[in-house]
Amino acid sequence: MSKINIVRIHNELLGTYGDQGNAEVLVFRGKFHGITGNIIDVGYNDPLPTNGDIYLLGGAEDAAQLLSLEALNRDRETLDLVIERGAVILAVCAGFQIIGNSFWAAGKEVAGLGLLDVSSTPGTKRYVGDIKIKSTNLEIDLTGFENHAGKTILGPTAVPFGKVLVGHGNGDGKFDGAINGNIFGTYLHGPILARNPEFADLLLNRATGRKYSQITDPLAVQYATWRRKVTK
Amino acid sequence: MRLAISILIAKFAGFLSKNILRKSGETIPGKVLLKLDSSAITKLSANRKIILVTGTNGKTSTTKVLTQIVTKLGKTVSNGTGSNLNWGVATTLMKKSDYAVLEVDELHLNNIAKAANPIAILMLNLSRDQLHRMHEVKRVADRWHELAKSLPGTTFIGDIDDPFVSYALSGATQSIKVSFGGKKHQDGAVCPACGKYLTWSKQNYKCTCGLSNKNPDQEFESASAALRNANLANVAGDFLGAKPIAINESELERSVLRNFGGVEAKIRLTKNPASWKEALSSITKSQVMLVLNARQVDGIDTSWLWDVSFVELAGKKVVVTGDRALDLAYRLHVQGINSIIEKDFSKAIDSFERGAEVDVLAAYTAFFSLVKA
Repeated sequence: MSKINIVRIHNELLGTYGDQGNAEVLVFRGKFHGITGNIIDVGYNDPLPTNGDIYLLGGAEDAAQLLSLEALNRDRETLDLVIERGAVILAVCAGFQIIGNSFWAAGKEVAGLGLLDVSSTPGTKRYVGDIKIKSTNLEIDLTGFENHAGKTILGPTAVPFGKVLVGHGNGDGKFDGAINGNIFGTYLHGPILARNPEFADLLLNRATGRKYSQITDPLAVQYATWRRKVTK
Repeated sequence: MRLAISILIAKFAGFLSKNILRKSGETIPGKVLLKLDSSAITKLSANRKIILVTGTNGKTSTTKVLTQIVTKLGKTVSNGTGSNLNWGVATTLMKKSDYAVLEVDELHLNNIAKAANPIAILMLNLSRDQLHRMHEVKRVADRWHELAKSLPGTTFIGDIDDPFVSYALSGATQSIKVSFGGKKHQDGAVCPACGKYLTWSKQNYKCTCGLSNKNPDQEFESASAALRNANLANVAGDFLGAKPIAINESELERSVLRNFGGVEAKIRLTKNPASWKEALSSITKSQVMLVLNARQVDGIDTSWLWDVSFVELAGKKVVVTGDRALDLAYRLHVQGINSIIEKDFSKAIDSFERGAEVDVLAAYTAFFSLVKA
């Protein structure tokens, strides 16, 4: 039996598009594998815990995104420490932009945390709708919902999170998100781990350093399969 | 073309749509009229008092209460069925009256208000809803604020316990700020006026920029969402010179009773995290049906289901149906609540025994198709 800490970063700010469900799904899937997941909610005024195994960031509006960045900059040392330790980070939408090199919010360009070699600029339109991507890490397609106005450009060292099959992803319609080791950035809401439980398992594997065998949860399979089929 | 002739043609189009296409006839006349005369709303609004009602939740029921209040002052027309875009407004205004109480969609408010030049606008609340269309709550709040600044002759009435409404009203020349002693807002972590982290102490907020729910013009006791809205209708009525009506909370109940093949269904409309929370807290029966669709007016993204706790349903018999029943079933599953998934509404009804009393929470499109059935 292993125990993991799942740190939900600034859900009060980064909770506009339902991404807080990712933490619940990790705990739920963890139970099947014999992992006890403990969710730690971190507010804007709270210090970032050092003992997290998985850190989650979600989607937000501009002002909230800037406040979250400000708070994370305050805890930069902790953040570097946990990354050094190999903690898993999943950042969605505004969260993905925050952990890139730079992004635009409320009409100005700001420096991000630079955990992923990407930069985001305002897109020419808003990208709203169902999205399906071919995962870089898994042999499956991932589905979700995107709702953002940012265009994200991959830097020379960035690996895309997936190849876009339906939707816009980073805005070019080619790739979605980026990965760097255990750090994952994507535009997929849904929440992504609810729509794609296999990806939740991958994060649990990475967080514990173990390889868990396949689990049986027919409803999860039915839901994920159906979304993959109808997203076209 | 003269307005009178345009109206005649529009009415005829409405007649055809109603009698031949069997449509409701609330949208087509207004659509035709605005095609023939794009300034019809402005022309039809002259010489009568217009009151607009907007907000994320409670527009239709509040419009009904306010219409009831204003009717005592003079002939009043209203788009009481929730046809709240400019076409529905134009259709309603084709009928002559002294007053018009109009429910208006949050995003269409600015265009309609600028055309109709209302005497008052009642702003109920603003929270996450249909984000595929609204995109961001702040975006809607900015539009409301801009509108308040641009209509100095209009009195803006609103519930300032909601920081977004408070921010909108802060732009107005004339306003009546109403408070019910505070209410924590699920989307209220950031000050909509200045973008700073909004400081809440329990139910009340106060920002360093000055935005707060302290010092309202009128204060009421803490109340449920429905009661708040009814009180706000009374405040708006009072502003117009009408006597307030006695509010009976049980009559404000937003549910509709229907019998489906021997099953007593108490149906309630649910649209977004805020309205689901209200609806879930009102469940009294041990058998529940949830109907989820994700068509345009429902909001085409279902991610928000994860912002709602369904813990109230634990231990009850839960049947889910609708286009997106699986989204709901999996969300419940992760929260440890088992549900029975049924293909459609009639199958879902069949899964209850005759004589059963069932609480039904239905998404927008599902609600209206069930209530009409």
